[in-house]
Amino acid sequence: MRVLTAAIAIAAGFLILAGYFFPVFAPVQTLLLNWAIILAGAAALVGVLNLITVHWDKIRRREKSSGYSALLILGIMVAVLVFGIVRQPAIMHAMMNGIIIPAEAALMGLLIISLLYAAIRLLRRRADVMSIVFLITAALLILGSATLPFGNIPVLGTLIRPWVSGVLALGGARGILIGVALGALTTGLRVLFGADRPYGGN
Amino acid sequence: MNISLDLISGALSFLFTLLIFSYAIGDNPLFRIGVYIFVGVSAGYIASVAFWQVLYPKLIYPLMNGSLIMFVPLLLAVLILMKVSPRLAGLGSIAMAFMVGVGAAVTIAGAVSGTLIPQVMGTINGFDINIAAARGVGLIEMIFNGAFILAGTIFSLSYFHFGARPHADGSMHRLGFIEIMAWVGRIFIGITLGAIFAGLYAAALTAFIERINSLINFIGSFL
Repeated sequence: MRVLTAAIAIAAGFLILAGYFFPVFAPVQTLLLNWAIILAGAAALVGVLNLITVHWDKIRRREKSSGYSALLILGIMVAVLVFGIVRQPAIMHAMMNGIIIPAEAALMGLLIISLLYAAIRLLRRRADVMSIVFLITAALLILGSATLPFGNIPVLGTLIRPWVSGVLALGGARGILIGVALGALTTGLRVLFGADRPYGGN
Repeated sequence: MNISLDLISGALSFLFTLLIFSYAIGDNPLFRIGVYIFVGVSAGYIASVAFWQVLYPKLIYPLMNGSLIMFVPLLLAVLILMKVSPRLAGLGSIAMAFMVGVGAAVTIAGAVSGTLIPQVMGTINGFDINIAAARGVGLIEMIFNGAFILAGTIFSLSYFHFGARPHADGSMHRLGFIEIMAWVGRIFIGITLGAIFAGLYAAALTAFIERINSLINFIGSFL
């Protein structure tokens, strides 16, 4: 099984890569990518089924938080009924605007508390150069872009903020992005050459 | 029908915003109720989208029209569904291997053509006189900004250089000049993360204000 899975991963990877360099492999590349999209859809279903299984077990064992698990399974069933079976646009719209979008926006809104708390903790726990630079930059950019009751702060919004975000932060972001890309490239190559086998079997 | 659905939608929106904002006073059952229902509904939505937007048009419909080659992804999809059962999960590794292989190849292509080349070209273009002239940027300003961007890129990359050599006392250290470059890189990374933090904070603040506004509007609609 180990050899078979490694052979499948390596062959699929090289065929996809070949499609980028040799036009003759382009139809194979498209076909394999379509199959991968189908499998990603199936994997999403597996994820949801696994979520149901885990929480169903909690309910069966009558664990402390099984009430919440029941609510979660109820939520899945209602959503599958509305989005997957009934599929009435008005009802789907109501559910989307009544639960999913408000909950996401509220969780995003909660971040202002979490981020502020994290910034204060950072100063108290690790007041080194990087932390201070980080917080000063954040404060400068927030103050430079915010509409303040007494008007904009001169120079900060027109000169310092664009330069910090467009030059200094851009330079750092380029370094981070190139580093991430190099890391992704190395990891991808290790998988393609069979050195890493995250699908099982060393 | 539409008016009542709008009312239900507005009431649900009001309720879920309050349930989630209750976290401001600490983790509590109301917040958990809101989050568990939200996760459940989102999971159900994802399952429905996966079926109707991916599996039905790309797999089931072609199979119903007699496309025999689609039996291969069908078999792989069945194998991946085996992952749900602990006894049969091993069979799912064949489909997982296929996905990992495809993912690795797409990642390599994406990293090279989507990040490495554009970012390197962007850094080089910082010194392009024609591009600067088209933007109305002067020569000195172009060189000044381009040099800072180039320095930021190189120094930040140096920070991620973890190659070290053993010293006489047995301790491992990076080369001296790499250590200095990495220290400067930390400043640039700090500035970048600060900028990301500021952007995220502004987005969170916008979402918070929008939610507060929706709460006020919902109450106001009854007054």
